[in-house]
Amino acid sequence: MSDEHQPSPISNRVRRLAAFFVETDLLRLRIERDGDEIELGRQVLHRDPLPEFPADLIDEPAPVRLDTIKADLVGVFRLARPAMAEGDLLESDRELAFVEALGIRNPVRSLGPGRIVTIACHDGDPVEYGQVLFEIDRG
Amino acid sequence: MIANRGEIALRINRACQELGVRTVAVFSEADRESLHVRQADEAFCVGPGPVPRSYLNIPNIISTALVTGCDAIHPGYGFLAENARFAEICADHGLTFIGPKPSVIAAMGDKATAKRVMKDAGVATTPGTDILDSPDEAKKAAQEIGYPVLLKATAGGGGKGMRVVERPEEMERAYASATAEAEASFKDGRVYMEKLILNPRHIEVQVLGDEFGNVISLGERDCSVQKPSHQKLIEESPAPHLSDRARAALLEMAVRACKHVGYTNAGTLEFLVSGENVYFMEMNTRIQVEHPVTEMVYSVDLVKEQIRVAAGEPLGYEQSDLQLRGHAIECRINAEDPRNNFAPQAGTLARVVFPGGPGVRVDTHVYSGAMVPPYYDSMIAKIIAFGASREAAIARMERALRETVVDGVNTTIQQCLEILATPEFRDGRYDIGFLPRLLTQTAAAER
Repeated sequence: MSDEHQPSPISNRVRRLAAFFVETDLLRLRIERDGDEIELGRQVLHRDPLPEFPADLIDEPAPVRLDTIKADLVGVFRLARPAMAEGDLLESDRELAFVEALGIRNPVRSLGPGRIVTIACHDGDPVEYGQVLFEIDRG
Repeated sequence: MIANRGEIALRINRACQELGVRTVAVFSEADRESLHVRQADEAFCVGPGPVPRSYLNIPNIISTALVTGCDAIHPGYGFLAENARFAEICADHGLTFIGPKPSVIAAMGDKATAKRVMKDAGVATTPGTDILDSPDEAKKAAQEIGYPVLLKATAGGGGKGMRVVERPEEMERAYASATAEAEASFKDGRVYMEKLILNPRHIEVQVLGDEFGNVISLGERDCSVQKPSHQKLIEESPAPHLSDRARAALLEMAVRACKHVGYTNAGTLEFLVSGENVYFMEMNTRIQVEHPVTEMVYSVDLVKEQIRVAAGEPLGYEQSDLQLRGHAIECRINAEDPRNNFAPQAGTLARVVFPGGPGVRVDTHVYSGAMVPPYYDSMIAKIIAFGASREAAIARMERALRETVVDGVNTTIQQCLEILATPEFRDGRYDIGFLPRLLTQTAAAER
């Protein structure tokens, strides 16, 4: 058997490095030692570009879960102080307003965290039973 | 503010509009599409469909009156109309209750007290008892009065909490069911006893009083056509075959009684009439369902008078101004199945056509496509026919009923036509047992 059929030390090194290179996600590897130089590289696969989404879909906010908070009695709507505004975040349940009826302040609570989407009444408005007072995004 | 629903809410709204008074209607979620909501100047939802949470919800009703700046509350009939506490609460909040004083409502609303007060005023009353505390006490009382007797809820009306007891062995059960029904209907289970006058006529007197001590009577109404549940179905004025002497005695007694209790506003004294004997039964301290027959024959707007009197004005009439003219009959069109014990019907009225023409008045709150909710009284319309004579009024009513179409629910239209066609009704010789007897005969004939 001639020496031609024996792997040379350099080719053994290249094989070992190639096996290592395959296991990694490196794109290029270059080693210089004692005047030898080995450079391994892989071809970058060309992927099709991602499909383009219509602009209106891209602009639409993530889906929200809207809760309505309604008056459960007849009276005058008053915002709690400090007054909340549309867009305000609620970290937990808190008093948003009260419905004043027969001299009693009946609290209106957010019943949990969320973001105030709509304040449906103005301070001082008379409100009827079942009237929507707030819309809260629970998303 | 109009603290009621249905046809009476519309009736009050009409009177207010003609007087130039702005109105606020209240409604339940089930009545959102109701006509009274559309026709009032403002309307406020006061609760969900069931009556205790809406039309009996005193805090929400008072609060509505206050936030909308109302001066007065007309309670109509039923619901809060005879609730003395409600009348007091109105006064406490500076609101005028369109009705008599709370103390008078309380005295007349408690039927046992009312009988005592009437006796003091020299009004004839049926033999009976005060409040009964037990079935044993009831048995003893019945033994003294003599069977048959009637157990009646002291807070009652509309036949609720009322039981006929013919034998001692029936008393225990009748007492239990009357008190339970009274408790459920009026939150007051107390009952009293009256001698049962067999086959009397139910004749009532319309009165009006003002703050100046004036009281007038506006004739009588015969309301003897009653369902087996004692609820009225047909009423007429004047009462047929009532002698002039008996009529004069009845009207005089009513005015005397009202003056005795300091009665103000509109009211009705109900009497049982048996031959020439007249017995006071109870007083209703409100406008009655059947008030239009009186309005037709006396050309008086009773609801406007109620509002004027409540505003502190004197009555617009003296007794001598009032002249009875012609005859008027009212038929109640109820969403009920007369062939099934008048079981109430709920549903959508696919088509509604009401009558018109000379001498016909229709008080209703329904229309084609309207819903009849399951929560409320089943009456959907009142048809009132006026004629120069009783015969003319009957003929006009028959014509009006035949013109009427209500598709979608069973009604009492055909039943009313059958009643008008009977010899007893045509002759005007009927009593409160007439309709139950007719129903029994009809059922037997159908079998």
